[in-house]
Amino acid sequence: MTPRSHSVCTALALALLAAGCADLNIPDFNNPSIGDLQNNPTRAGVVTATQGLFVGARVNIATFNGYISELGVFGRESYNFNSGDTRFINELLQPGPLDGSGPRFGGNLWAERYANIRNAGIVLNALAKLGTTPPVGMTSTEQAATRGFVKTMEALDFLLVIDTRDSLGAPVDVNHDITSGPAPFVKRDSVYAFIVGLLDSAVADLAVGGSSFPFGLPPGFSGFTTPTTFTKFNRALKARVEAYRATLLACRAPCWTRAKSALDSSFSSVGADTMFKDAVDSLGTAAMLARGAYYDFGTGSGDVTNGLNDPTGVSQVGHPSLRTQADTQATGQRDRRFLNKVRTATLSPVLGHTSDMVFNIYRSNAASVPIIRNEELILLRAETEFGLGNQAGAAALINYIRVNSGRLVLRAGLNVAPADTVISQLLQQRVYSLLFEGGHRWIDARRYGRLLTLPAGVAGDQIYGAMPVPIDECTARGLANNCRP
Amino acid sequence: MIKHCSLALLALSFVAVAADARPPLPAVRTISGRVTNSLSGDPVVGATVTVVGTPTTAVTSDKGEFSLSAPDGAITLLFRSVGYKRRTVPVAADQNRVDATLEPDVFNLEAVVITGQATGVEKRFAPNAVATVGAGDLSRVPAPSVESAIQGKVPGAAIQQNSGAPGGGIQVKLRGVSTLNGLSSPLYVVDGVIMSDVAIPNNQQVVTQSNTGSNPSPLQQNQVNRIADLNPYDIENVEVLKGASAAAIYGSKAANGVVVITTKRGQLGEPRFGVTQRLGFSELAHKLGARVFPDSAAAVTNLGDSALVGQICRGGCPFFDHEQELADRKDLNYESSVDVGGGSENTRYYVSGLTSKTAGIIQNTGYWKQSVRANLDQRLSRRLAVSLSTNFVHTLARRGLTNNDNALVSYYMSLPFTPSFIDIRPVNGIYPNNPKAGTNPLQTAALVNPNDEDVDRFVGSAKATFDIVRNDVHHLQFIGVGGIDRFTQQNTLLFPPVLQFEQTSSAPGVSLLTNGDNHNANWNANLVYAYRPQSGSLVATTSAGLQYEDRQLGISNIVSQNLIAGQANVNAGTNVSVGEHREVTKDYGFYGQEEFLTLGERLFLSAGFRADRSSNNGDVKHYFIYPKTAGSYRLPAGVGPLGDFKLRVAWGQSGNQPLYGMKFPESDATQNVLGLPGTVVPSVVGNPNVKPERQSEIEGGVDATLRSGRATFELTLYQKKVSDLLLLRGLYTSSGFKSQVFNGGELRDRGIEATIGWVPIQRPELTWLLRSTFFSNSSKITQLPVPPFTDGSFGSQTGNFFIEQGQSATEIIGQVPTGPKTFVTQRVGDANPDFLWSYATDLTYRRWNLAAVAEWQHGGNIINLTTFIYDLGGTTPDCPTACLARRAGGTPSYIESATYFKLREITLSYTLPTAFVTWTGARDGRVSVSGRNLIVVTGRNYTGMDPEVSNFGIQPVARNIEVAQYPRSRTFWFTVSVGF
Repeated sequence: MTPRSHSVCTALALALLAAGCADLNIPDFNNPSIGDLQNNPTRAGVVTATQGLFVGARVNIATFNGYISELGVFGRESYNFNSGDTRFINELLQPGPLDGSGPRFGGNLWAERYANIRNAGIVLNALAKLGTTPPVGMTSTEQAATRGFVKTMEALDFLLVIDTRDSLGAPVDVNHDITSGPAPFVKRDSVYAFIVGLLDSAVADLAVGGSSFPFGLPPGFSGFTTPTTFTKFNRALKARVEAYRATLLACRAPCWTRAKSALDSSFSSVGADTMFKDAVDSLGTAAMLARGAYYDFGTGSGDVTNGLNDPTGVSQVGHPSLRTQADTQATGQRDRRFLNKVRTATLSPVLGHTSDMVFNIYRSNAASVPIIRNEELILLRAETEFGLGNQAGAAALINYIRVNSGRLVLRAGLNVAPADTVISQLLQQRVYSLLFEGGHRWIDARRYGRLLTLPAGVAGDQIYGAMPVPIDECTARGLANNCRP
Repeated sequence: MIKHCSLALLALSFVAVAADARPPLPAVRTISGRVTNSLSGDPVVGATVTVVGTPTTAVTSDKGEFSLSAPDGAITLLFRSVGYKRRTVPVAADQNRVDATLEPDVFNLEAVVITGQATGVEKRFAPNAVATVGAGDLSRVPAPSVESAIQGKVPGAAIQQNSGAPGGGIQVKLRGVSTLNGLSSPLYVVDGVIMSDVAIPNNQQVVTQSNTGSNPSPLQQNQVNRIADLNPYDIENVEVLKGASAAAIYGSKAANGVVVITTKRGQLGEPRFGVTQRLGFSELAHKLGARVFPDSAAAVTNLGDSALVGQICRGGCPFFDHEQELADRKDLNYESSVDVGGGSENTRYYVSGLTSKTAGIIQNTGYWKQSVRANLDQRLSRRLAVSLSTNFVHTLARRGLTNNDNALVSYYMSLPFTPSFIDIRPVNGIYPNNPKAGTNPLQTAALVNPNDEDVDRFVGSAKATFDIVRNDVHHLQFIGVGGIDRFTQQNTLLFPPVLQFEQTSSAPGVSLLTNGDNHNANWNANLVYAYRPQSGSLVATTSAGLQYEDRQLGISNIVSQNLIAGQANVNAGTNVSVGEHREVTKDYGFYGQEEFLTLGERLFLSAGFRADRSSNNGDVKHYFIYPKTAGSYRLPAGVGPLGDFKLRVAWGQSGNQPLYGMKFPESDATQNVLGLPGTVVPSVVGNPNVKPERQSEIEGGVDATLRSGRATFELTLYQKKVSDLLLLRGLYTSSGFKSQVFNGGELRDRGIEATIGWVPIQRPELTWLLRSTFFSNSSKITQLPVPPFTDGSFGSQTGNFFIEQGQSATEIIGQVPTGPKTFVTQRVGDANPDFLWSYATDLTYRRWNLAAVAEWQHGGNIINLTTFIYDLGGTTPDCPTACLARRAGGTPSYIESATYFKLREITLSYTLPTAFVTWTGARDGRVSVSGRNLIVVTGRNYTGMDPEVSNFGIQPVARNIEVAQYPRSRTFWFTVSVGF
């Protein structure tokens, strides 16, 4: 071999060696690692992950086929006239069964909630390892405040899960690595007990959480920005949960008592002297009824818009029963809530289902959506009073809402009416007060055993009592679609 | 690490062969002669004539004549020319005039097919069924991209367009299903550069909301895969390595096969200058039609607005043919191309240019391409030669708004909701509102502008060949290749506020800007040692080498809504959102291969391996080894009438890398609530242990040629198994995650490929060549460690692909009614066709030539949601009766046969008389008329637009879903080409 070819080969060999030993480690350019957050947590990581619970909480709430939309269809608040997909009618309304294998229909409203429950679990795991010395760690007071917040948000997500699956129950012990397999389903009453446990444990944490949160809260939580005020939101949720338990699980008095106590610690308020004011005209009363916690939406980059803002009525249309069942004002006009929340529109029928109204509730694509607000708390208080035997108090509160929110006349004699009449009147007020805010009509009809009194709308349509277990939960347990684990 | 590096040194160890080239013999006499075609007697232009055993070479002139200096004594001359069989002619010591005839090599038996990164073997020895398509077959009829130019020409390949839109978007699927979740495009290697075939979406789902329904994929916008940028006329040769047994040397990137493309290069001799001008047009090939409303009662049932119907349907409802209005443009297409090539002994060059326009049949759609190429080959010394290849291309695609959509914006999604009695044509430039769909498709086509996809791309490579040792016995060569492929893509879409569907939006007017930036760089270094002992008993070729690749892809996009004064600039919107995604991958691999040709060129054996590691694998240090071995044997003296009869068998393994990001368990850090940022879990959680899929393929076959050389036959059987599949383990969603990537399971493909070529007539004035390929593949999921899962599509009501153990990988399930309101979910079809059968004919009579390629796909199913949507809209021509019956029939009503017969290409050309051409000063000239997809027959009266379709673009499994795509067209061309 010539000296020249020797040098060529040597140079070559060196170049190739250099390449062979090249480090091929390439980082993730798009997102941070979950493992790092849980195993080597930092204050900054925990703060953004905690704030992530607001991002996760609103997922699939206000999409065109989300929680409000689909529960609206089940509870005959709304139809979804999406022409590209008729399953809003032929699956959600017509005889079934509902199909747990359809991730957007029967199997919907599950994964997003558990994703946020996982978000909560990750923060709780991170907090367990986070140091207590700022700026890398959080003081134990800050950690307690964060834990209280996280558990409350987690409880809210569990509540939305059991709202859709009801008697089928749900898994609750889910904060484990994915290698450990699915958590067992527990019965409905255990899910409610678990939710209450979370809420109560959160209150204990918030109580020692100092005077401020170490993370930011969006405008929808503007009334609840400190551990103390956030506790009032927690108690409002607790009141709803206890009322559900009182009716749905027939727990009655003990639950009503706890509901009342929770209401007393919540942000609920009824000004005694504000009776007979017109909430629509009186800004003060309207604001008071609207006060509460909201899911926020926005049009900014990385934000999510409110998909229920549907000015053309392509998807979200009002159920015809809203007009036919609305009470009339003294003027002969219909319930002021009805007049404000829907407007008429010319719509083509879809599969024999007709409507002539669209919703007027979410008037912009950045409109916020109530999580829980004072108007519901007043009605929960009415329900609680009735449950505890104070029918006169209940009647007064129901009339308060009739007059101040619906501009209806007082319903005389409600204080001595048969129980069935009071409940009907209460549920009627809940329909119009909480219209299209989260499936209240369906949930209420179910917990009072009145699903069959819902207006079917079109002959042959069916009223479902619960959504099926998603197919992935069935297959993970070796069961067939629409299983009952 | 030391161990790995020592392997690299090992690869160099055989450099120790020491010898040097012998000096060339002295030249003392001149030999001249003429080379002609053995059939026609025409001169063979550009043939090379070599004195065997010396580097002395000459090239024949326009008249076929040559002259060279030869050493004294008896010698042998070797005559070679592309498209002809080689010939050796002994020349006596006293002979100075040699006239030779060359026989056309109609079946390309003497073409060299590749066997590795730097080695090749003549096709008659090849142990694999490597398909080769040459320049002549690629450029007869203009094709939007190279893949469509090879449609019907490669057995074992299912090459299908995703829609009828101008400008590409074509999937090449070799030998069936190779993966379920991995990359599903073959590896494209152009002059040694790995060329990106990525498809960058334009973000139109922001407006069409195609991803908000049952399938969240954003890839429902008819995106173009970027190999379409290549100019088909620049290509000399396309070789297709179909499976692991042939492509193992490409390692963990070869599971979908490798398409090796070689571009044209300058030939020795006078410059040859060619000009081709083509003009043509496209037209709508198939209309769906629309329902005629007989009376106002039917119209009211459809529209619901009796007052409006009362105004329109006085006495009877009018009929407006919206589809005709929308999709019946016949604008001018053109293609102008020039090329020039030539060179001397040491320097050769090839330069080409192309500018073309393919008009769409819908307003504001079309495809434009401008390409320049310069290829240079330079010999720098007796040992060292370099080749440079450079290509700059600009393409502009306007593909309109098509495919699935949940906002009824795309053309064929809004047509079904535009009943025929409503007039949506503009009056004085004002488009009337469509009362039913909320969109006017004619307005959308006219005013969504720009909808541009602009690509600027540079592909360049350099190759150096250094003869370390060269003599009759030993030839040790270093071959180094490096290249880059760099492109930027910009998509701009403007939805002005004046559009009907924007007027009702809460933020009217949308402007979308997407910037894609791709950078691929790779180099490889090879040592090839060929040993030919004096005895002539064998040729042994040892090769070894390394390859390094770096791929970077960045996509950023801006969505701007609520446009001020309808301005297109994204800063004119009040609602602005941005996104960015980056991917970086680095791969490193090395290989070694040994090939033997022995027993009088009858037995060919080879064995080799490739070792690869990649940054996309969980363990970036681990080398994955892909071995291969192959052999072929040509029977002595043939069999019966068969002059040449070869048995071959090959086995090999290859891989399919995880995609970037599959290994990262990561949070999603892109969201905020009114400016408050938060991280959340993603729906798919990464797996830090992910590794490549592994494919093992065995193929065997026979190749036979008639003694007369007038017919050939190739038959190949193969089986491939893909294990360690990149699966998405559907997780129980109560975990918070929807799925996780993992390796597991196994699928199998079995298939048969056959090619038959026959020259029934071969006379000086008339030759007729027939060629037919047959391909049938069936796949099966042999092992699935996860529950059966759906893949693609929109839920079982409308038909879902279903991955299930023991079933075909392309099985389709759906809801079959069992009673008036009940159904059972079961198998309703399979996308896999029974077979693909193509036919090509080439008939030359004197100056006339007629060539055609047709393709027949038989069997398989399509999920036809176009008809489903028309039925929902109540506007299918056979509504209301038949469309209601289809609706009641459940999913099976919309699972249709994918059978089709397509006349892909047909050309009638006339070579201008020599006298006329010479009078103009040209060398030759030709005029032709041609067409693409002129005749299409679909099976069982297919009710959709085209069974050659994929709503989700390139897919490993879930093709064959038709949703309101761009309608198919047929294209006519008139061509004049002149050579100087």
